[in-house]
Amino acid sequence: MASIQLNNIVKRFGSFVGVENMSLDIADEEFLVLLGPSGCGKTTTMRMIAGLEHPTGGQIVIGGEVVNEIDARDRDVAMVFQGYALYPNMSIYDNIRFPLRMRKVPADQHDRLIRRAAEMVELGAFLDRKPGALSGGQRQRAALARAVVREPQVFLMDEPLSNLDAKLRASMRVQIKHMQRQLKVTTVYVTHDQIEAMTLADRIVIMNRGIIQQVGTPDEIYSDPANTFVAGFIGSPPMNLLAGEARDGIFRSEGIEVPCPRTVTGSVTLGIRPEDCTVGGGHLQGMVYGVEPTGDITYLTVQTGKRAVEIKAARDFRAPIDTPISIGFDLSRLYFFSENGERIRRPA
Amino acid sequence: MRMSLRACMWAPARLCRSKPMASSAHSIKAVAPATARPSTGTLRRRSPRMRSAFPYLLVAPAVLYLLAITLYPGIFAIYQSLFVVRFVKWTWAGLDNYERILQDAEFWAALWNTIIVGGLSLGLQTVIALALAYFAYRDPLIRGWRIIYLMPMLFMPSAVAFMWKLAFNDGRVISDLLMTIGLTHGNVDWLASVWLARLTLIVADVWQWTPFLFIIFVAALQGQDQEIEEAARLDGASWPAIFWNISLPMMRPVIVVAVTLRGIDITTMFTNVYIMTQGSPGGATETMSFFIYRQGFRMFNFGYASAASVLMLAMTILIAQTLVKRAFRSGRS
Ligand SMILES: Nc1ncnc2c1ncn2[C@@H]1O[C@H](COP(=O)(O)OP(=O)(O)OP(=O)(O)O)[C@@H](O)[C@H]1O
Ligand SMILES: [Mg+2]
Repeated sequence: MASIQLNNIVKRFGSFVGVENMSLDIADEEFLVLLGPSGCGKTTTMRMIAGLEHPTGGQIVIGGEVVNEIDARDRDVAMVFQGYALYPNMSIYDNIRFPLRMRKVPADQHDRLIRRAAEMVELGAFLDRKPGALSGGQRQRAALARAVVREPQVFLMDEPLSNLDAKLRASMRVQIKHMQRQLKVTTVYVTHDQIEAMTLADRIVIMNRGIIQQVGTPDEIYSDPANTFVAGFIGSPPMNLLAGEARDGIFRSEGIEVPCPRTVTGSVTLGIRPEDCTVGGGHLQGMVYGVEPTGDITYLTVQTGKRAVEIKAARDFRAPIDTPISIGFDLSRLYFFSENGERIRRPA
Repeated sequence: MRMSLRACMWAPARLCRSKPMASSAHSIKAVAPATARPSTGTLRRRSPRMRSAFPYLLVAPAVLYLLAITLYPGIFAIYQSLFVVRFVKWTWAGLDNYERILQDAEFWAALWNTIIVGGLSLGLQTVIALALAYFAYRDPLIRGWRIIYLMPMLFMPSAVAFMWKLAFNDGRVISDLLMTIGLTHGNVDWLASVWLARLTLIVADVWQWTPFLFIIFVAALQGQDQEIEEAARLDGASWPAIFWNISLPMMRPVIVVAVTLRGIDITTMFTNVYIMTQGSPGGATETMSFFIYRQGFRMFNFGYASAASVLMLAMTILIAQTLVKRAFRSGRS
């Protein structure tokens, strides 16, 4: 069990910057989730922590020890690879056993540990198959079992649930969290799935183009986004971002007029989450573009000028398209962002 | 065709809910089915039978050529092996040739020599090539300059044989070297001892053909998924452990195919024997090919030589077939 510090980590591939000046403190026993669009440097960050990639600059500290020059093999880190990386010549049983053999775990414990790990990922029936004879989801679970079979200092998991069906994913999610709490192993977890990030994380790191956008608890990330990137990335559908002009305590844009703090002036972007909008109310005038009932909620898309605004409406809301509609905003839940995308915070 | 493909690729992205809808309205039009018309080539107008025969006609010349240079001589050898041939006079002999061969001590000696020299040589070059490949495959220099290691293979076999003949026998280069470092006193006569003579053949073959295996093994190692190696590294495996537990088993089919090819080649080893030892001392380095050559072209027992060739071919096919089959069966499951 160990804490991890990244101090000003830089990774360049030739002239391409993969990770830019990244500093991060991961507490002992913490569950940290890396979230960001494809190609933003999540895997690269993980590989540097694992020791598979050498940082161009900066320092990596695991358990109080600078590990930059320590070989991957000696860092005592277990990783679930995005591409599984199972050993094709071995049965699943032998795959899971390999780290035990290599780490010289006494042989009489192997069977018990392997079966426990296999049980956890519901893979017991496939132990004597080779990876080639498994489905993508089964391979992914085998990779997960191989990582958790021993108790390393750090778990690194690169999208370990991406190929599972929704039901299995939900149950594995709970199991991973339970296991992490039980083993108290510091975990860095990469995902594209916001639900996964929100439910698993102690803290979430949002990255874009190799740069950390925000670090915070799931609540902070959701209700207190630091900039338009985070606001537009989190939530499904994400926050509506509407550019306009603010003057004398009023924010105006095509079809929109809402009060705003007097400190907000000039060209700004208004952010409002779909669930903080209500049908009727008069802050926004537009036309119904689409209505999508999903059962427990209805998604309403309203067009004003050239923009679309997403609204979560009541489950029984229905309206024909191209009819005028008026939308109200919850004024206590408005976010304003300056022209460069940074959040304009209310003076405390 | 191109148009419809583009429309399909773009439409879902444009229709996505969070995009501005001005553009999504007209992109819907673009999805309208653009029927792809199959091109009407000249082939279509021909009769159905002509069409199905066409591919065969295309490959026919190559097939005929191959049959003429491989199958015809093979059948001819089998046919000839049933006769006692004295120049133009063929006398029917049935299976007499085979019967005599199986009782011919020289044949068995040649078979034994082939197995000993070929087996040692093959084993040695496989191990050396594997070791070199293991140490070298991560090296960028090896990646870029593989072709250099192929050089010994590119030389004419007889030239290589003459070179080794010079080095061992006529020029005494190797004897001199051994004397200089104090391993021997006086000149070594490589053709005086059974095992020294065999050694010269082995050294020559290993020198010329290890690169062939090396190149194949390096390519196989470089083709392996790097993530697997990294995973093993994180699991705590040392480089030798990774090679032994993972890389080597994964290379198995490649190794078997390469070694089989090499083995087939080695069973027909002739040039080096002909130039370097002529089978001496006392037939200890006479390989199957040399035995066949001697029977056919020195003693003019063509029927007898043909029978020996047929036997050798049968054995080679049998061994190669079993090896390759087994390698691929266990590689799959
Ligand atoms: N070895 C490499 N050489 C050059 N560029 C690389 C290399 N590895 C990664 N990159 C680049 O670095 C960037 C970050 O890659 P990374 O694999 O970390 O993305 P990611 O956040 O894991 O994305 P995804 O969610 O798709 O897995 C990408 O733009 C990628 O093209
Ligand atoms: Mg990735």
